[in-house]
Amino acid sequence: MSHIAVAVQGTAAAAAPAGPSVVSLSGITKSFGPTLANAGIDLSVGAGDVIGLVGGNGAGKSTLMRILCGAMWPTLGAISFAGEDVAFAAYDTGEAQRRGIRMVHQELSLCANLSVAENFFLETPADSASRPGWRALYRARARAALDAVFPGNGIDADAEVGHLTIAERQMVEIARAAATPGVKLIVLDEPTSSLDLDRSKQLRAFIRERAKAGLAFIFISHKLQEIIDIATEVVVLRNGRSAWQGHAADASIGKLVQLMGGDANPVHQHAVAAASSQDVLVRLSGPLTAALGRDIDIVRGEIVGLAGLEGSGQKELLHSIFSPGRNEHAGVSRRAEAGFIAGDRQKEGVFPLWSVLSNISIGALARRSALGLVSDRANRDTATGAAGKLRLDDKRFQSNITDLSGGNQQKALVARALVADTPVILLDDPTRGVDIATKQDFYRLCNEVARGGRALVWHTTEDAELLACDRVLVFSSGRIVKELAGEAITEQAIVGASFAQPADSLTSTARRQSAMAGLGRKLVNAAPFIGLAAVLAIMIAINPAVASTFGLDLLLMPALSLVLVTAAQMFIVGGSEIDLGVGAFAGLVSVLSATLLYDQPWLGALALLAALAAYTGLGGIIQARKIPAIVVTLGASFIWVGIGYALQPTPGGASPEWLSTLFGWSIGFMPTSIIMIVAVALIVFVIDWLPLGVVLRGFGNNPAAMIRSGWSPTRYALVRYLIAGLFAGAAGLSLTAINTASDINSGNSFTLLSVAAVVMGGCSLLGGIISPVGAVAGAVTLSLIGALLGTLSVSSDYNAATQGLILIALLTLRSLTADRRSEP
Amino acid sequence: MNALAGFSIWAQRNRWIWAAIGVLLLWLVLSVVTSRFSLSSLSGVILSASFLTVVGIGQMFVVTTGRGNIDLSVASVITLNAFVALLTIKGQDANLAIGVIAAILLGLAVGALNSLLVVGLGIPAIIATLATGYVLATATLLSNKAIPGFAVSPALKELATGRIFGVPIMAVIVIIGVAATSFVLRYTVFGQLLSAVGQNRAAARLAGIRNGRMIASAFVISSVLASLDGLLLGAYIGGAFLEMGQPYLLQSIAAVVLGGTLIFGGSATALGTLFASILLILIVTTMQIVGLPPGAQDIVQGIVVIFVLALAGRQALARRASVDLADDDKDSVAKTEANATAAHSK
Repeated sequence: MSHIAVAVQGTAAAAAPAGPSVVSLSGITKSFGPTLANAGIDLSVGAGDVIGLVGGNGAGKSTLMRILCGAMWPTLGAISFAGEDVAFAAYDTGEAQRRGIRMVHQELSLCANLSVAENFFLETPADSASRPGWRALYRARARAALDAVFPGNGIDADAEVGHLTIAERQMVEIARAAATPGVKLIVLDEPTSSLDLDRSKQLRAFIRERAKAGLAFIFISHKLQEIIDIATEVVVLRNGRSAWQGHAADASIGKLVQLMGGDANPVHQHAVAAASSQDVLVRLSGPLTAALGRDIDIVRGEIVGLAGLEGSGQKELLHSIFSPGRNEHAGVSRRAEAGFIAGDRQKEGVFPLWSVLSNISIGALARRSALGLVSDRANRDTATGAAGKLRLDDKRFQSNITDLSGGNQQKALVARALVADTPVILLDDPTRGVDIATKQDFYRLCNEVARGGRALVWHTTEDAELLACDRVLVFSSGRIVKELAGEAITEQAIVGASFAQPADSLTSTARRQSAMAGLGRKLVNAAPFIGLAAVLAIMIAINPAVASTFGLDLLLMPALSLVLVTAAQMFIVGGSEIDLGVGAFAGLVSVLSATLLYDQPWLGALALLAALAAYTGLGGIIQARKIPAIVVTLGASFIWVGIGYALQPTPGGASPEWLSTLFGWSIGFMPTSIIMIVAVALIVFVIDWLPLGVVLRGFGNNPAAMIRSGWSPTRYALVRYLIAGLFAGAAGLSLTAINTASDINSGNSFTLLSVAAVVMGGCSLLGGIISPVGAVAGAVTLSLIGALLGTLSVSSDYNAATQGLILIALLTLRSLTADRRSEP
Repeated sequence: MNALAGFSIWAQRNRWIWAAIGVLLLWLVLSVVTSRFSLSSLSGVILSASFLTVVGIGQMFVVTTGRGNIDLSVASVITLNAFVALLTIKGQDANLAIGVIAAILLGLAVGALNSLLVVGLGIPAIIATLATGYVLATATLLSNKAIPGFAVSPALKELATGRIFGVPIMAVIVIIGVAATSFVLRYTVFGQLLSAVGQNRAAARLAGIRNGRMIASAFVISSVLASLDGLLLGAYIGGAFLEMGQPYLLQSIAAVVLGGTLIFGGSATALGTLFASILLILIVTTMQIVGLPPGAQDIVQGIVVIFVLALAGRQALARRASVDLADDDKDSVAKTEANATAAHSK
């Protein structure tokens, strides 16, 4: 193995532009079972270096970068910073960041519900010191950082990241990494994949300029001309090994393509004169094949490979073929049943609770009548045949699927597709992370199956595997740009075709669609205000006395408790959980304050604190044990109610005088209730506006990114429940003060109403949104429903149904206007 | 030692055993400590537990579909149908068939509504069923005003409270039902598909299973069972009252979780639900005998649910972690790449 150090090291480097070493990896080897993702790779980065890292799919770039950034430990190898050796045991993502390494991930790690400036805050919170004006500081920093990299970008630092285009998000992410204080090396993983040419040029100009100032970059890209343009050094990886390292000046696109092109020994012999049949099973047409100018038919007996850069539309095509009804514009029609073999075993493949046998036979069961009977014997008989072809030992049938190696798990998934016995089989990169022996079994089987008269559509990320196909469809930007057949299928041709087409943007249509949905969403979001106005208008029209200060107070004072509970629920929902015990907790606080707090103030205060602590602890349990909040809080609601009953079996008690005064003051012209309701909204708004609120919302939206930026999930779960507990407790006190007595059941109805109000207010149940004004308006509207029905002389029996129907109607509207993700 | 290891492996696959052991221990303790416990008092407990088991089995189907699915409308369905039964049967055996048909139709309707909201519109099950429950609450209030009286049909009364050779008829029915449910879960295609959907929804879809249908059928089963339970419970207590179904909300979930059905879905045990129901009723009865205030019963039930979940949560975590590990070893490259793809395709 020959390794050429990238940066010229030692004293001899005097003439070279490379500065002192920033970080150096040596002899990095990483094995995943029998597969070597990295084998003895050396990489040394000096200050001011721009290293272009290239390689085909699965060449080991991602693994190497994960090791560099501390996200993964190598099997063998060493790392050193400026000549100082660091043990991998003490090296993690946090340490990498402290040592000045920042990575811009391809999967973006921004919180989409926060503004650009707030995302800058999350990455470097230390200097905010939560003093007033912190937001302005980060706004200025975001502006400056964005302008430094992308002059004239036009991105508003206060814009919500979710509203930016993918290109703009990418720009924010890059600028955020570049602006980090103390950064020494920035790893850019496909930074230009969604940038247009001008932005890409700006980025390269910025890199050049910063490199002169001593900042180092690693630039990963499939766009080879960019690599040659920007890099000072180029590293080519192939099959986990470094295939070539050298000066960018010595590299050309042709040479790099040649260096990247995979294995010399073919994995497979071509199927003999396949595809003679005219029995068309799948037809591809429309925009998908527009570049070819003709339809593509997939017939019995052939293996069709899908090639191209990752994410160019291969996976989408497989899914369109599997369920053609889901996207009518895809131009895919299928005339026979299709089976699917997933390569992402954990997410889309295995049923982790089951044995190997059950995992195989489900393929056949799924196509039988639901009323049919299952027999282990029959299952075993069918599975044995399929497993035999794969050399999967049937002695392992009873083992749990998760006890098997990745390769054997994959065999089980293939066997599942075989027992399903469908004419079309779709393969989504099935040999990912599978050892070579299994791969060989697999290729042999594919041939056999195809010759048996089925059609295989095969998406692979290993270009070498495409040699096993009868035809290869090369994708670029979601379209098929080239069809290769027979002898024309060579790695050179595939790589050439994949790289040939410059990526154009698919974002314009997506953007238009989201604009449409946005309009609908705005209407739904206005619902609480429209509702509140309508309810008040009707009531005032029927009974003008409502409009008086006294009338409004009478009407709105009872709403205050619900508003407070809603505030509590909103923080829980903001963390994508739901509290089914919040109303009961308010009831308990009410009971405590009307009994213990009235009789023995100190004991009462202590009891209230204990209740608050218990409520907060609930959040800790839910986070620590990863158990469903719904059930835990439902269980807790019984505890709250039970304590309340034990203390006060029948309604009664009395409100402490100071408490009544607290809720009973008046300043004459303004209804007290309105002032207090507005105050609640204001407090929620302020909490949400503080750095704390920003962090809580960040966790609600993208906990993984938050943890990556170094925030503690447990601490903020506790904080979240503490805030909610304070609001729910205030609701309980208000109940006691308003009713001048307590009843443990007085808070029960608030639980659903608070969820309804939060949803009405525009918060998503997925979390991450706090909307004080909307939710408060929703809460007031809902609590007025009873009075409204009374005014309209409708029986109060209809109260619950009206509230339930409002909730259902709103959720229905929201679900219809929201852009729906792949699958419920 | 070896036998113990063998048992622990066996118990991992037969999680109902823990609830059964719980029942046995508590009952033994009670019979030794108090002289009031006997076989006949146990049969009384089992009779009460039967009503919980029926709704618990329905809840179990919903929980098994995974993704935190829970049917919160069961309490309202029970109450409503106790009233509807009074309305339709009017205490006459001759009207019994109409009452049963009404109960089934009501259950089907509520189940269909829940399925529409959850499967069709993608509304989280907990919110959808909570909202449905509110609508049903109004229906209950309205039927409360319309009922002619609290007369219960004698045949239904016999079914709900009678005994054959000292064994409650309800208990016999429920045991047969539990056996049938176990059979369905273990030996029918439906049971296997349900488990698959609950374990891994994406994998289930790619294996060719129609997830929507499976989830919808679980909600329908839950509603129909709760509806029939309301009919029988009304006959058992001799009438109906508002909020009569309320205790069954938490208890049904507790029975499911305590019985060993996984709260994350994918694995159900009807036998466990039966034993857990008996255990829960036994706990409540014990507290009544000891003379704890009614509030304490609620507290204990709440604590039991949270405690069991926290324990079971760890087991499920361990299981998931092992999956993660197995895959992390070989697939982390794949995962990164897959994420990249996902990011691209958005």
